Amino acid sequence: MNASLNTPSVTEEAQKQSMKHSCEHHAECMKIIQAILDDEATDAEKDHFRENMEKCIPCIEAYRLEKCIKDSLNFKLEKKPCPQSILNTIISKINS
Amino acid sequence: MSVAMSETLKNNEYTDDLRYEVFNREFMPHIDSMYNFAFRLTMDEDDANDLVQDTYLKAFRFISSFEQGTNAKAWLFRILKNSFINDYRKKSKEPSKVDYQEVETTYNSEEASDTTYTVDLRADAVQELIGDEVANALNALPVDFRTVIILCDIEGFTYEEMAKILDIPIGTVRSRLHRARNLLKEKLKNYASSMGYDS
Repeated sequence: MNASLNTPSVTEEAQKQSMKHSCEHHAECMKIIQAILDDEATDAEKDHFRENMEKCIPCIEAYRLEKCIKDSLNFKLEKKPCPQSILNTIISKINS
Repeated sequence: MSVAMSETLKNNEYTDDLRYEVFNREFMPHIDSMYNFAFRLTMDEDDANDLVQDTYLKAFRFISSFEQGTNAKAWLFRILKNSFINDYRKKSKEPSKVDYQEVETTYNSEEASDTTYTVDLRADAVQELIGDEVANALNALPVDFRTVIILCDIEGFTYEEMAKILDIPIGTVRSRLHRARNLLKEKLKNYASSMGYDS
């Protein structure tokens, strides 16, 4: 009835068996996954994505991987502040 | 005073005061992002310093061509990218001496690049990587691929903004991103493998 996250494992297994283990149009799906993560997906792409996330295991894993990479780029990379000397030079030059 | 301001806004004219106001209010807040972008392009601290400085001075000199109310960050990034190509690209140290055209051609065939091409890399493995490893993987990409990833994933530009910054069609932005990300996964996989995290 209700496919909640707390569904017991027996039902979970049954559900898993109805999921796809291969994706016959993975190239297209990858483009949509990237568009979704980039916040550039059309409504049609969003619908397609939602369907996939419910049943296509390769797509679910691909989405996880892409999201993880995007998050890593966003949060793990060092962001250096611009050196004060550069700021000072810019300000003094535009004021001269 | 306010009448004069709204008149200049309407005609996109700049008084001296407005020049400084727009520069400080719209341009300066992006200097850290600009600095990081410059550094990732040039891979050299001195070049990055010069590039940021040159860009901001250019931005001030040509401020009257900045349309008030539009995206200052994208405008600035465009100037920086053009300055990089014109003045610094020849000197830039490319870690992998891969010709951009060659890479583009390799990935041009839809079949070859997309349908059968998946990198064997797990999200868990990526989660374990530290900043330096991710940075090295990114820096190992050819500069044009590195650029699109930085603009999209780190600086959060839209495809449309990226198209304007890079002077390329939106379709090219998407395909270049797609290829860049596949390449990046390859590089990340090297780090994951060396740590024993590959499947």
